[in-house]
Amino acid sequence: MGEVTKAKLEAIRNLDLSAVENIQRALENLSKLNPRINAFIGPNPDAIAQAEAIDKKLNRGEQVGKLAGLAIGIKSNINVKGLRATCASKTLEDYVSTYDAEVIKRILNEDGIIIGMTNMDEFACGSSGETSAFGATDNPAASGYIPGGSSSGSAAATSAGISDLCLGSDTGGSIRNPASHCGVVGVKPTYGLVPRQGLIDLAMSLDQIGPFAPDVYGAALLLEVIGGFNPNECVMLDVREVSYVDKLKEDLRGMRIGTSQKFRELTDPRIMKIIDSAIEKLQDLGAEIINVELPHLEKGLPSYYLIMSVEFFSATRKFDGRKYGKRIEDVCGDEVLRRILRGRYISRKEYRGKYYQRALQVRTIIREELMAALKKVDVIVGPTVPKLPHKLGTSLTPMEMYAYDYLTIPANLAGVCGGVIKAGELGGIPVGLQVQGKVLGDGEMLRVLHAYEVNA
Amino acid sequence: MKMLIGFEVHQQLNTDRKMYCDSPTNYQDVPPNTNVCPICTGMPGSKPMPPNERAVNAAIEIALLFGCRVITDELIYIQRKHYDYPDLPSGYQRTSLPIGINGELQGVRIREVHMEEDPGQYDPTLGTVDYNRSGVPLVEIVTEPDMHSPEEARKFLRQLVRVLEYSGKVRPEAGGAMRTDTNISLEGGGRVEVKNINSVKGAYRAIKFEIIRQKSKLERGESVTRETRAFLESQKITVSMRVKELEEDYRYIPDPDIFPLIIDKARVEAIRASMVEPPYLREQRLVKQYGIESTAASVIVSERELADLFEAVAKEIDPKLAATWFRTKLKKVLNYMKLRAADVKFTPEHIVDLLQMVDDCEITPEQGELILRQLVKHPNDPRKILQELGLDRIKPEELRAAINGVVSANPDAVRDYQAGREEALHFLAGKVMKLTHGRADARKIIELLRTKIMGEK
Amino acid sequence: MFLGFGRLLEERLKEIERSAEEIVKSFLEASESLPTKRETYYSHEVYNIMRRDGEPSPSVERSEFRRRFLEIMPNSDENGNLKVEVARWVR
Repeated sequence: MGEVTKAKLEAIRNLDLSAVENIQRALENLSKLNPRINAFIGPNPDAIAQAEAIDKKLNRGEQVGKLAGLAIGIKSNINVKGLRATCASKTLEDYVSTYDAEVIKRILNEDGIIIGMTNMDEFACGSSGETSAFGATDNPAASGYIPGGSSSGSAAATSAGISDLCLGSDTGGSIRNPASHCGVVGVKPTYGLVPRQGLIDLAMSLDQIGPFAPDVYGAALLLEVIGGFNPNECVMLDVREVSYVDKLKEDLRGMRIGTSQKFRELTDPRIMKIIDSAIEKLQDLGAEIINVELPHLEKGLPSYYLIMSVEFFSATRKFDGRKYGKRIEDVCGDEVLRRILRGRYISRKEYRGKYYQRALQVRTIIREELMAALKKVDVIVGPTVPKLPHKLGTSLTPMEMYAYDYLTIPANLAGVCGGVIKAGELGGIPVGLQVQGKVLGDGEMLRVLHAYEVNA
Repeated sequence: MKMLIGFEVHQQLNTDRKMYCDSPTNYQDVPPNTNVCPICTGMPGSKPMPPNERAVNAAIEIALLFGCRVITDELIYIQRKHYDYPDLPSGYQRTSLPIGINGELQGVRIREVHMEEDPGQYDPTLGTVDYNRSGVPLVEIVTEPDMHSPEEARKFLRQLVRVLEYSGKVRPEAGGAMRTDTNISLEGGGRVEVKNINSVKGAYRAIKFEIIRQKSKLERGESVTRETRAFLESQKITVSMRVKELEEDYRYIPDPDIFPLIIDKARVEAIRASMVEPPYLREQRLVKQYGIESTAASVIVSERELADLFEAVAKEIDPKLAATWFRTKLKKVLNYMKLRAADVKFTPEHIVDLLQMVDDCEITPEQGELILRQLVKHPNDPRKILQELGLDRIKPEELRAAINGVVSANPDAVRDYQAGREEALHFLAGKVMKLTHGRADARKIIELLRTKIMGEK
Repeated sequence: MFLGFGRLLEERLKEIERSAEEIVKSFLEASESLPTKRETYYSHEVYNIMRRDGEPSPSVERSEFRRRFLEIMPNSDENGNLKVEVARWVR
């Protein structure tokens, strides 16, 4: 288990599989499967040509990058020069990116091939994958159910095997949530580890770009490529050396793993049953399971929605239709508008203290709690989502939709890392185990995911 | 009528790169939308680069020049100020919290100094936007409404601009220089802000117009509402800018994409030690060090390069003589030729030589001024200029001949003078001066005429 | 709270505003019992990240961006200016 990415890379390097073949296959799958699952908004017309260039290098025996020949899907809120970063919205449906995001530069530098822009919740405002202006995405692992969101297309593309790897973004769970629903590996890196230059933000102080992969090796590899200091943006951690693939071990001897009663309180017992067995397995692998307290965990959710709404309101002021696209308020969907109006309202001068600043104080509380817990252990494990994904088209109130985020939000508020791997199924629906690590503890987190993966 | 006038002055800082990106700042030299990148055009997903350190240091220095207390050891957030306007690429402007507070200039309190980024250039009549200027670092200086007349306001603004130029930290381009908003309120009326002013003259005109407008409203019994108006340069009027949908609430938040700054005392002291001496301090020092009068010192420090020139000259020659010359003749010549001290090409040595010649009575002060004029136009050794202009010293026999000639040619004037009318003497002296092309000293001429006329009696 | 958003239906707007407030109310309830704390604006406490002034970006890069920028402009003039609305207060 967990050899898919490695095997493919080796096949390409050994010239058993050409890059062109790999990309052609991916594009064929795309055209075959996409009408049903709608994981992609648009393919990259340049992909085959890029694959040909890689093959030339390989045939000449030249040095190639870490991602050579792999088919990679990119969430539609990341700028890829020449492709449309639509954010799944009518606002930007015609916006052709004028520059490459930093993570894209790094992927191209390592010879990764971008096969298309993946579907998502409009402007990342969702946890289900149903709010795209280009239609909902289906869950390939559980057809008829939501794939989760907001990186719905990237999770689905990975789950359906169309792309080898994908990039998503995570503000309050937007990578981990769909990773769990679709049964794939998804990682939200430590805030500030991966450059955000070129990411069309939902909330600047919470967003991180992260990898989707069929296995932990693939996620670790892609994270190595995209992570690391970028001098051309301000809010980054000064991390110069980024290596994870070498750190993947198969056992967990000496590791201290935390778990909290709070998770049980908030989560569907059927999900917890699967998580409990997963934790037992971790124990069998040599880890010590320690109880940690997270008494205010659930308060993170409302405070997150206030903070995120203010930041989103600010981020969307540039969508005025003058330089590109259309004026956002004129064409956007309900949830996007809801967040803009909410952000506009609570950031008013007379309300700042009551709402925005108060929410930032609650953020401090959540953060301190999580950090204190992480001091006692190496990682904290638990469920990813408190309830099972609903069927596509089910009507949910906004509050019911927000409730998916309870367990993923704290990591964003604190800026720590979190990764998800499939731990089981309920009636055919995947359930993901979430592993949260310290600031820059991405290596430990991946190690736990990998050990579980290998021995599951 | 009691009035309160204040300013918010914006001036561009002299850096090579923009505030939050590496695009060049020479926005006037290139075609529209050339010095741009995804960041300064507000492309979706673009993030600011770390703030330009040179701009930060310049803002600190300017705060010190105005006698402000610099905010040290405290978080200074770069905030987002949100409003909707075509020249603002991201829908918000990045503006810092104050760098310095509680300064003063010419009796007007400076409330704060902070940093901003310039928006693009929007032509409201043509409806065009050019982002070349977008992102150029700005310093903003906010005054208290401590001015009480348009004249006072104009005088203050002139001096403020002078101090900024003094610092050497602001962009020298004429067009990119000062932009100011002014706020005016009359007793009994609300505070009106006027934007879109690009010159000291414009500020003066805008204030005068506003006073008339507000006054007539109040006299008619109407209220002067608090509003924002725009100054239309060509028509010399202000018009209402208020659009109903626009709210004044800028919804400031610390920019999540920029870590806050903390200025430490060491940085401030390093800047203070190496910075240019502020004009008012230099004035005091010149008076003390060179023993010159404060009226002269005040004129000399009006331009930094003029003061530099003075001090170079005063090392070699009598400072008081130099001061008089700088205050009267040099300033007069520069003003007449519409030049700044920074533009002159002659050297301190040239001035020293010239003044030496005057001091030694080799030439008259009037001749000196002629040479000075030439010196400004075509810098050269003053002695050479003297010869070129044919101003070299008149020989005594030439002067005597001229005196004799004028006396013989004007017997009526001679008789008038002998009868006791002083002005006849001046008339004759004038004739002599004309004849000798100003090469003779006026007092000498008078003396010789007197001797000649009275002596011959 | 009427904002005049063009074609939006009044009812839709009202409903969205109302539902937007639910989580705000929920927040007030949730945070009532919590102590006051310092606000956390940033994930990490890092200060004074600045950039040296110096040689501007290469013009080759910028001219490529300019080409793409001009291409996506909804409206531009022959000099490369972006064309937008004329100001309402201009006579």
